Amino acid sequence: MSSMKELVEFMAKAVVNDPDSVIVREIEGSSATIFELSVTPEDMGRVIGKQGRVANAMRTLLRVAAVKEGKRVTLEIV
Amino acid sequence: MLNQNESLDVSAKTVEEAIDQGLEQLNLTRDQVEIEVINEGKRGIFGIGSEEAVVRLTPKPQTVVSSQSHNDIQSAEAASDVLPEVPATLEKEDVVEAVDAVDVEAESSTEAIAQPPDAEAEIPLDEETEPEQDVAASAKAYLEELLDHMGIEAEVTPRIAPDLVDPGEEPPLVLDVTGKDLGILIGRRSETLQALQYMVRLMVSKDMQSWQRIVVDVESYRARRRRSLSQMAKRMAERAVSSGERVVMESMSAYDRRIIHVALRDHPDVFTKSIGRESNRKVTIIPK
Repeated sequence: MSSMKELVEFMAKAVVNDPDSVIVREIEGSSATIFELSVTPEDMGRVIGKQGRVANAMRTLLRVAAVKEGKRVTLEIV
Repeated sequence: MLNQNESLDVSAKTVEEAIDQGLEQLNLTRDQVEIEVINEGKRGIFGIGSEEAVVRLTPKPQTVVSSQSHNDIQSAEAASDVLPEVPATLEKEDVVEAVDAVDVEAESSTEAIAQPPDAEAEIPLDEETEPEQDVAASAKAYLEELLDHMGIEAEVTPRIAPDLVDPGEEPPLVLDVTGKDLGILIGRRSETLQALQYMVRLMVSKDMQSWQRIVVDVESYRARRRRSLSQMAKRMAERAVSSGERVVMESMSAYDRRIIHVALRDHPDVFTKSIGRESNRKVTIIPK
């Protein structure tokens, strides 16, 4: 398990009410790695935030990890 | 300087906001320009898939009104940050970015990520309801784990920081991050630092069940930023007094706006006020 995936899981689990339902899928694309985050419908707002603020903060921090590993990443909430 | 008769494209969250911003940049009123909506923008769902509204403002020929005050802000900021040359036709956003490229300290955060989700208050001072030590220990642990997962090697030291607030205010809990090559943690317009701080606040606040005003700092960036903002506030106040006109500063986060308000609180000749909405809030310095 990559540390980037752990990072997404760690952030998501810390802000939701139901951490056990947090699932992160890592999909290797040709040019970028996609992380798909899924949570319970009730927790969607918590990982997205007002005006996407939480999702964007997670993306920003994920990008730092990606730069460290020399990769391109996207985070999608599904 | 900005050509008075050239049209200006402005983007913002909504058409109305874009028009207001544009008019402010041109220092014109609505009846002095032709307004063309280039993109109405989309709100998106939860901010995803949203598109910025774009409008084009063209000053009507007879209204060659001075856009002095705005250009003054730009040139003053540019000059003070030792920026070689900023083409004056650039939009505000571009100028800010150009400045960023030269000096990360001089940047202005347009995203108010540092605010708690519903904070509109200019002076966000939360009462510490939980024992401070618990908050400090929990915040340190969360930040260390975040940094570890991000692949950053750094030291986290919590402290109560009277140097980051003005005398008489309750000093916040600060997590100082120190280490090698940590510029990556500040990022352009301190975006990364704000994201880091926001996540730590969320995580700790959830555990404590009350909003925690924790500050994350990297290599004393906050203190340097405070100094440069206060200095800029004082220069802009002098400008407002000498010109007799109000000076509108760049849009800033609540935290940065507050630094400006406090810096000019006891100024004998000006008062300050924030205008605009959400991420577009700007401090206006008004001569008394």
